[in-house]
Amino acid sequence: MTPPTRPIVEFHDVTVAYGRRPVVWNVDLVIDEPCLFGIIGPNGAGKSTLLKAALGLVPLVGGEVRFFGEPLGRVRSRVGYVPQRETVDWDFPVNVMDVVLMGTYGRLGWFRRPGDRERRLARECLDRVGLADVAGRQIGRLSGGQQQRVFLARALAQQADVYFLDEPMAGVDVRSQERIFHVLDDLKAAGRLVVVVHHDLRTAAEWFDRVALVDRRVVAAGRTIDTLTPENLQRTYAGHVDVLDELAQAIAARGRTP
Amino acid sequence: MTAAAGILSYNTVVVAVGVAAVGFAAGVVGSLCVLRKRALAGDAAAHATLVGVACAFLATGRRDLATLLAGALVAACAGLGILVLVRRFTRTRDDAATALVIGVSFGLGITLVSGLPAWGYANSAGLEQFLLGHTAALTAHDAWLLAAVAIAAVAAVAAILKEATLVAFDAAFAAATGWPVSGIDYAIVGLVALMVVAGLPAVGAVLVTALVVIPPVAARFWTDRVGTMVVLSGLIGLAAAVVGVAVSATRPGLATGPLVVIAAAAAFAFSFLCAPHRGWIARRAEAARGLAVRQGGGDGETGR
Repeated sequence: MTPPTRPIVEFHDVTVAYGRRPVVWNVDLVIDEPCLFGIIGPNGAGKSTLLKAALGLVPLVGGEVRFFGEPLGRVRSRVGYVPQRETVDWDFPVNVMDVVLMGTYGRLGWFRRPGDRERRLARECLDRVGLADVAGRQIGRLSGGQQQRVFLARALAQQADVYFLDEPMAGVDVRSQERIFHVLDDLKAAGRLVVVVHHDLRTAAEWFDRVALVDRRVVAAGRTIDTLTPENLQRTYAGHVDVLDELAQAIAARGRTP
Repeated sequence: MTAAAGILSYNTVVVAVGVAAVGFAAGVVGSLCVLRKRALAGDAAAHATLVGVACAFLATGRRDLATLLAGALVAACAGLGILVLVRRFTRTRDDAATALVIGVSFGLGITLVSGLPAWGYANSAGLEQFLLGHTAALTAHDAWLLAAVAIAAVAAVAAILKEATLVAFDAAFAAATGWPVSGIDYAIVGLVALMVVAGLPAVGAVLVTALVVIPPVAARFWTDRVGTMVVLSGLIGLAAAVVGVAVSATRPGLATGPLVVIAAAAAFAFSFLCAPHRGWIARRAEAARGLAVRQGGGDGETGR
């Protein structure tokens, strides 16, 4: 009945608008195998909006997004999410463990409280991001990179098959970046799809297996090596003169890493 | 010695228990409200209650507490509904829309309550006591009603604490993982409206938000965990309510509401100054220690 190789995520003709102003339009994108997938583009290109549209956080004006051939509502527990770090109040009275446990709430459902099983899982997830020793610390007393890893651990606790990360490397120290990337790589190795909104062209070429270049629509998408071409980058970043230097470096990096 | 006898009378004790329960529940519910950053919504609900009290009296001709508070609850919810509509359809910003609802509904309420006697409703005297709160007029029956509402509100918070905390901390993540964020928001704000109404007889429409807002803000200084904060906030609200009722019972000239708020404010001031870690004194001491360490560190390799 259902074909054995349903795409993991498919965007069909997706258009999103804030008020009457369209932000991204006519996005068609199919990801059919586990990989590290980068959504790359200039500031204000609608990358995060596209991610939020996939997660049902902003309404679609047109088109649809499907996961494993199903609408999001039927597969929510298989989709993990790491929002931008700045979107929450880090002075909130919860500790690291509390936040990671929130990743288990989706499966727990209404009124059930996390128990031993959830705590064990959360501890494991904290261990994977290297934060087991700060489980009891209030979240405001962490560095930016540690906060980002707490969010990643929370997503791991969701035990999802697809992960969406919104700028996970923004304002994060190099050590945390490497740790995060390492965890994402492990997820890929375990057969998960990891979709990352990313703005740093220099690292994009080394990290992602496949990318979509986005500037309010999909300019190009496919294997990183075929997609991050000088022509595609120029088309994506046309009018963004400030990143020309990064562009040159990205193209050079592409030459280095096969 | 009449004052001492007044304190010990059965009615006074029952009223004190009822108001204490309301103080506890207001602190508990207020924690969710403050963590979700909805303190102003509580103020809008509070100021709208007076219209409800007056309308309930006009519609039924009765002035028992249950009737008047039912009217107040309807008005509080209507005020919040209007707030949502004004925001959505007039593109007025949150703060301006809230100020608008507070001002208009309160003006309307005052007009109705103060106008009723002049319009020939002779037995409407006493409604104006909902302005600043007056526990001396409460009966034991009223107090049991308030206590029942308080227990229900605390039970509701206990039931949805996990979900409400998730939404208050990270609404986007909550929505992405399938939780009905606006439904949970409505539950939080609805509970706030309920506690504002329950606090009305003791604290009055003008000041009752303080009973919902000050205890959680004070409690936050002492703890970094939501669960502890909720309980602590309840206890601070309870203590403030008891102090307010006791003082106003011994000094008949004083309205209960302002006394409750002053007691809560004292708890806030004490917490702000003296709490470990987050208190002002502790933070100053920590800063001084940090400075000493840096100076003692010598060649600038220490610290960040």
